[in-house]
Amino acid sequence: MENVLKASNSPHKKASWTTRSIMIDVLIALLPASIVGCVYFGWKALLVLALSVVSAVATEVVYLLACNKSFKQIIKQFDFSSVVTGLLLGLCFNSTVAWYVVVLSAVFAIAVVKMLFGGTGKNVVNPAIAGRVFAFIAFQSIMVGGYVIPNFAENAGVVTGATPLSALGSMENLKLFLGIGVAGCIGETCKAALLLGYIYLVARKVLDWKWPVLTILACGLVTVCMRGFDFTVFLPSLLSGGLFLGAIFMATDYVTSPKSLWANVVYFIVLGAVIALLREATNIEVVSFAILLMNLFVPLFNRFIRPRPFGYTKAKKAKEAK
Amino acid sequence: MKALNGKFFRRGIHTNDMKNLAKNCAIEELPASATVDLSLSQHIGKPAVPVVAVGDQVKMGQLIAEADGFVSSRIFASVSGTVAAIGPKRDERGALATFITIKNDGEYSFMPLEGEVDKTDADSLKKRIGQAGIVGLGGAAFPTAVKVSPKTPVDTLIINGAECEPYLTCDYRLMVEKTEEVVTGIRYLKTALGVDKVIVGIEKNKPDCIALFESYDDLTVVKLKERYPMGGEKQLIYCATGKKVPCGKLPSDVGCVVQNIATAYAVYEAVDKNKALYERVLTVSGSAVNERKNLLVKNGTAYKDIIAYCGGAKEDLAMIVDGGPMMGYSVVSDEFVTKKATSGILLLNQKEVSLEEPTPCISCGMCAQVCPMHLMPMDIDFYTIAGDYESADKLGGVTNCIECGACAYICPSKRAIVQNVVIAKAKLRQMKK
Repeated sequence: MENVLKASNSPHKKASWTTRSIMIDVLIALLPASIVGCVYFGWKALLVLALSVVSAVATEVVYLLACNKSFKQIIKQFDFSSVVTGLLLGLCFNSTVAWYVVVLSAVFAIAVVKMLFGGTGKNVVNPAIAGRVFAFIAFQSIMVGGYVIPNFAENAGVVTGATPLSALGSMENLKLFLGIGVAGCIGETCKAALLLGYIYLVARKVLDWKWPVLTILACGLVTVCMRGFDFTVFLPSLLSGGLFLGAIFMATDYVTSPKSLWANVVYFIVLGAVIALLREATNIEVVSFAILLMNLFVPLFNRFIRPRPFGYTKAKKAKEAK
Repeated sequence: MKALNGKFFRRGIHTNDMKNLAKNCAIEELPASATVDLSLSQHIGKPAVPVVAVGDQVKMGQLIAEADGFVSSRIFASVSGTVAAIGPKRDERGALATFITIKNDGEYSFMPLEGEVDKTDADSLKKRIGQAGIVGLGGAAFPTAVKVSPKTPVDTLIINGAECEPYLTCDYRLMVEKTEEVVTGIRYLKTALGVDKVIVGIEKNKPDCIALFESYDDLTVVKLKERYPMGGEKQLIYCATGKKVPCGKLPSDVGCVVQNIATAYAVYEAVDKNKALYERVLTVSGSAVNERKNLLVKNGTAYKDIIAYCGGAKEDLAMIVDGGPMMGYSVVSDEFVTKKATSGILLLNQKEVSLEEPTPCISCGMCAQVCPMHLMPMDIDFYTIAGDYESADKLGGVTNCIECGACAYICPSKRAIVQNVVIAKAKLRQMKK
């Protein structure tokens, strides 16, 4: 019997979730947005998503193979985070994007942003965000133009304006919420689908309900303040652009958000404000830039906003100062 | 007295407590084995010094090793018979300790503790507690005689009936079956400490115990929420009294002393029955054991004898745990023996234990969310692996850690956080020297 006994360090009983199960939960939460995106934008959207996911996963596998990992090992350790990255990145493109842009961004996101820094958990910025920003800067002409309004809307066709941000307040809120007749990326138009994913993640306890709410509210309120307390822009500012996608799925990425409770509170409020400020400053879609910027500040948040141990006293602090 | 509602400490985890497995098994006495091995370091502090030699005849309850200094405890023979060997052996945690082996002669001739106790005199009671070799039976095995002689004045005695570890039901059975005896023991502890206020903290998953203890007017019963680690000393004090024990301080600094239910029962036996601490109630549970039981076991009984009495292990046995699943030790063999503080022996199958390989930390922050001491376990983990123990303390707060394992329980990456905590603490102690 001695031979079969196993030993481990305490605790011997652990929660059932794993990194892989969390990533699969995120994928499930992204399903509604992906499906709606494919319905709105047609088979081309599906192609973009598939291409993005496949190239992201392929990049990771090739990278690991190049690091002398056996194929068996790779499959055993595969945690689906590259699928999430690929899908998120795909959702950030519009359906008319050229195929090589998708592939190159996915390769950049996984190889440069994630794997070069050490793989899952070690990346400094969110790979999907970095991939999107890479595409935006490297292929500006393709990314800025070519936004498609879903084909069943009255005014179907290609528009050059990015998102309805340029016409803040002129769209109907319900249309914005459902993404009907809204030009934009595959994943960001239908807020209802994103909200569904949010509810799923919160119910599965993968995501703390507070963080997206804080970001979105902060963004809305700052916009209202800057527009001279005009509360009519509140809802449109929330519902337009990639704010929902960014706030729910991108900014809340575990690796690139602060670790402790209060650091997170401050981080997400600041993030919302930064999005609002950048939106006022420019006409392009800024959510990804704002998240990228804030990602770089995460170590500072981690270092300076930390919880106080249970039973922490001021007297101890004075003692330490000596 | 009507039970009060306890405060609730922030964070911690909620687990499936699995207590139903052994909850309704009445305490049975385990027939003593042919030989018992008694370790000389069954407690925190210096190992005891043997006072018997090989070949000596000893009686059940006879002193075989004297305490060495203040923070140490006496060891008593748990069966009558001949001392067969005194020598070093590995204990269940892998440490080298001296064991006294006694061959059982099957007569169980009992030797009571010497002297009389004045049940109303604090010093007399304290002397008896030390004389009987009583240690904290909740798991830490800190000598109770030291605990009842605090350096600062105390006003509250808190009895820990939380039993927050999953699976374990030995304290529950004691509370249900030996209520009167436990309460008597609590009163002796109260007299020894000279305090007026006694609080018994019981988790809400034991409503029958709460009802039983409510009938005693000199006890204040506090209903505690089911949350792990409710039985942690600092958490229990906070929930029972609202006081926070400052970092690096002892419970007696806020005027509290915490004692376990089983300890109170041992005090009762020592005072009323003149019986030294050489046996205790422990839980045998888990999905891989045929019959789950709460057993009265003589110290130094081999696990295999206990398991054999419980109908043996099932085919799918994967791990034997000494203690609870959260803070217990997994043992590599069933040859090891019980100690004073062994509160349970769990036979767990593959499904119950977690043996996944750790994957990289994804900074989800769950560990910080559940840490009852409000620390940053992921930083402790990170800096300990990097060998930077000072940062593990400064940024992670490792010296405040109570090693409850809530962080490692919740970790989706299955990181060995508690192991790194223990390493960091040991290294920091070394560095201070």
